[in-house]
Amino acid sequence: MWFLEYRELIKILTISDLKVKYQSSVLGFAWSMLNPLLLMLVLYFVFSNVFKATQDNFALFMLIGIISWRFIANGTSSSISSIVGKSSLVTKIYIPRKVLVLSTVLSAFISSLLEFLVLAPLLIILGAGLSPYILLFPFIHIVYFFIVYGISLILASLYVYYRDLTQIWDVLMQIGFFLSPIVYPLSTVPPEYLKYYMLNPMTVTIQMYRDVLLYHQTPSAWDFLFTLTTGIAIMIIGSAIFGKLERRFAEEI
Amino acid sequence: MRLSTLGRMGSAKEDEINGNAIVVDGLCKSFRIPREKKLTVYENLIGLLRGGACSYEVLLALQDVSFSVKHGETFGVIGPNGCGKSTLLKVLAGVLYPDRGKVKINGKIAPFLELGVGFQPELSAKDNVYLYGAIMGLTHKDVEKRYDEIMAFSELKRFENMKLRNFSSGMYVRLAFATAIQTNPDIILVDEVLSVGDESFQKKCGEKIEEIRKAGKTILLVSHSLGTVRSLCDRCLLMKSGKKVALGETEDVLAEYKRMRKESG
Repeated sequence: MWFLEYRELIKILTISDLKVKYQSSVLGFAWSMLNPLLLMLVLYFVFSNVFKATQDNFALFMLIGIISWRFIANGTSSSISSIVGKSSLVTKIYIPRKVLVLSTVLSAFISSLLEFLVLAPLLIILGAGLSPYILLFPFIHIVYFFIVYGISLILASLYVYYRDLTQIWDVLMQIGFFLSPIVYPLSTVPPEYLKYYMLNPMTVTIQMYRDVLLYHQTPSAWDFLFTLTTGIAIMIIGSAIFGKLERRFAEEI
Repeated sequence: MRLSTLGRMGSAKEDEINGNAIVVDGLCKSFRIPREKKLTVYENLIGLLRGGACSYEVLLALQDVSFSVKHGETFGVIGPNGCGKSTLLKVLAGVLYPDRGKVKINGKIAPFLELGVGFQPELSAKDNVYLYGAIMGLTHKDVEKRYDEIMAFSELKRFENMKLRNFSSGMYVRLAFATAIQTNPDIILVDEVLSVGDESFQKKCGEKIEEIRKAGKTILLVSHSLGTVRSLCDRCLLMKSGKKVALGETEDVLAEYKRMRKESG
């Protein structure tokens, strides 16, 4: 398998990506944590005062939503240019090109893990506490990784041919943000649409994060299987598209 | 390089017996050159609305090229600009996929199409050595073992913690060459990168290449400098507009090249 053979390169590319990301700003990692916290504060103010949202622990509820959303948002937006941005590694030397996408997604994955790590003390401070259900967290996070990696493969390979994809994807992600239960509870979704609404794997993923972190309960096996199947399907489709488009990467970049 | 994943490693025993390091058979590669470059979804949609079918010209960069390079041989590829030398090198390196024909590589290959591929200006020289080493197929331990030698060869030991963006282009290339040379490949592909750095460093590189050659490695060299080709290569391939024109002993091929140039003025 290519990712075993090239694990050394994947590791080193991931680490350099993280180093560049956190070294270039003085506050480094603090920034990537301040961003979701500030967003949470603004949204908390708007939704709890203006819209009078009633939800226990609304601040934590939103923060979990925002932090989980950040992985797909940051992961896809940085990996979309992972091929074009490292063009010399495509045109001047042979390495499996998936290495470039995988290492970018892995770096976003690690950033996301760190953000969840900072969430842990907040869970205690804001009164939700921790429970053994947190042990289920890694499984959810790995399945989520599959989804993000699969989408990234599609985006990165299409971006070589269509350079306005970043703008299109930005808009789609903004729509996605409001089509997922991040800043509002699931109960506000009109029941007649709920069936379609639940088809969004992000909805299910965010709900599972809340189950294990906030509500201290096991997510339903059905939810988990649904996201797992979606994740694997997206990865297979992504690999197929990537493999087909990869052949002319070096000519198109 | 570990190229086994590409399925390009020669499995045929006869090549092993004949001692061929590189076998190229009937290689064809064409490029599509669109009349109008459409690089966005928007442009493609507009193009569809106008009804103009995707129109492009086909450039035949390589047409039925065949040759083989023996183990331990230094092989030159020469020809005028745009004759397909670089395309050939890129196909051998695995960067471009051929349309037709076969490429067989027996052994570990290191393409030097450009030095310092993948260098990160924001990282220190030390980090970049490890990064570049990994790109060229070395493990962390390999690089660790050879790190001092790399630093000694590039004469950059005292700058190892400096960020690469503060390096001069000469230092940059020295660091790259010193690292790349440590990969210990069986076959190296060189695209006129020998002219790097100042004179004394060039001399050092030349010596290193000579050392590699003497160690029985296979070298495929693409060059414009006929002097370099004459002094280094055992055999040569002459190309013109994607086709093989001559193949044989360096002196004969060079004579053919001179005749060709005289004819075309």
